[in-house]
Amino acid sequence: MSPAGESVPAAAESVAVSGELGRLRARRPRSEAALIRGALAGSEADLEALFRRFWPRAYRAAFLIVHDHAAAEDIAQEAFLAAIRRLDRFDRQRRFGPWLGTIVANRAIDWARARAARRETADAGAEPPSPPEVPLGRYSQEVLAALSALSPEHRAVIVLRYLLDYSPGEIARALDLPRGTVNSRLRRGLDSLETRLKEMER
Amino acid sequence: MSAETKRRLREFRAPDEIGAENRAWDVLRSAYLERERHAARRPRWRLAAAPALAVVVAALVLSPAGATVGRLIKQALGEKHAAPALFALPSPGRLLVSGPDGAWTAAADGSVRRLGPWQQASWSPHGLFVAVASGDRLAAVDPLGTIRWALARPAVSDPRWYSPSGYRVAYLSAGTLRVVTGHGTGDRLLATGVARVAPAWRPGAALGPYELAYVTARGRVVVRDGDTGRILWSTPPGPRPFELTWSADGRRLLVLSRHQARTYSASGALSSRTTLPGAASDGALAPDARKLALVLGGREVAVASGGQTRQVLAGAGVKAVSWSPDGRWLLVTWPAANQWVFVRVTGAPRIEAVSRISEQFSSGGAAQAFPELDGWCCTAGGAAG
Repeated sequence: MSPAGESVPAAAESVAVSGELGRLRARRPRSEAALIRGALAGSEADLEALFRRFWPRAYRAAFLIVHDHAAAEDIAQEAFLAAIRRLDRFDRQRRFGPWLGTIVANRAIDWARARAARRETADAGAEPPSPPEVPLGRYSQEVLAALSALSPEHRAVIVLRYLLDYSPGEIARALDLPRGTVNSRLRRGLDSLETRLKEMER
Repeated sequence: MSAETKRRLREFRAPDEIGAENRAWDVLRSAYLERERHAARRPRWRLAAAPALAVVVAALVLSPAGATVGRLIKQALGEKHAAPALFALPSPGRLLVSGPDGAWTAAADGSVRRLGPWQQASWSPHGLFVAVASGDRLAAVDPLGTIRWALARPAVSDPRWYSPSGYRVAYLSAGTLRVVTGHGTGDRLLATGVARVAPAWRPGAALGPYELAYVTARGRVVVRDGDTGRILWSTPPGPRPFELTWSADGRRLLVLSRHQARTYSASGALSSRTTLPGAASDGALAPDARKLALVLGGREVAVASGGQTRQVLAGAGVKAVSWSPDGRWLLVTWPAANQWVFVRVTGAPRIEAVSRISEQFSSGGAAQAFPELDGWCCTAGGAAG
């Protein structure tokens, strides 16, 4: 999902190719544009390669913002479904990852805001979201705990900048924020994050 | 930012990444295959679905049932030329039925499979799973009947999946409305004082909240955020609804009562209110939201469409209707005749009937009950019919 380019070869790439030609092709991951063209032409393998290339970071980004694994899965999946529905209208001059990342980040922020609203108008029947079924490693727990001190909006800025490699200008456009707001959120968010991570190391 | 903090963020791993990825790919693949299949003949109705639904409801008073063309009236108890067994469905897709002898699927080639001893069943949006309920148990099974997850709650009924992702399942339990994720986790109470009417998720609403419509014990229709529980809108108490159906684009909610059909906008404004031409006992909105099939008085099936209502089948004891996924056929269940009747409602009228339904969905026990129809599902994706 990096605007600057994607270097993670997807395991599913091998599904798309076979035989001698396939082995030659498999050495070099196919470009994002080629995968989109293939998916539009009806290649399920190309679609899968595109999906597996971008899914991990989409899911992680959503999870780091909402801190709820089921919601993160929903958000990332719905973003992909929206992308598939609009694939034939996708501007191929743009890169797929940033477009997807913007959808994910905005949906995650909306979801986190809705959850906050629920706490304010708490209904007797509503319960908090379920904790992860699969325990996180200590390393990931620390990052998550440090991020939890930030608001979802601040988390989104941090995630877009340092997980998805957006520039501050790209973040401003993606979240419809003034550039100055992005920079201040980055500064405050990073200060808080580093402080907390250091405290945990002690 | 220190390089160490950056590295920690980059190396962060979310819970169950591979499981989440594989589940998402299943759903995405189904949606993609469906898109490919329909790309050449993608209907334009989505843009017109809201007015189309209003026209459908208005049609119920514009012309009385049985007054127009294409009627196929059968007064005898059952179709005379019924096939002795289900050899094939007239339209692509798979059927889901359930009853005292369990839940079953019927494939397009007529083969049937028992999913287990479940009293009620509901397709997931792409037909990959089935939510099943029986007594105090709710479960999700695959089309082979293998249980993927299960939970125990009192008097479980009417499970319904959120579409298109299938990532929420709403169900009723002893007068309450509950929601669980599609993985079977996070089960939570959403509302109490709920009537025994299947809840209805607003499709495609995941850009915002998951919106769920249900009926209260006092006859109100309420739409809540399925995650937060927040009430988005509700109606005053009115005629007790027996069916809630959203149009496929999520822009209109159809509320069917015995003598009345109402439509509401997605924000809860009443769009139309129409008195039905007979006492309705079942109704189904076509996949394109342009036609509404109704069982009236337990003796006729009428289809409202394009400004008129036409009777497509008559016979004492007809019970339920379901649309084929392509919207070309209606399946009418006729327990009194122990038959299913497939009625083609586009093009030249045509009827195909199958007899001995109870026997075909029986595991051989002494009691053979006529099964309830739970849906005619998608070819590869799309909502259950």
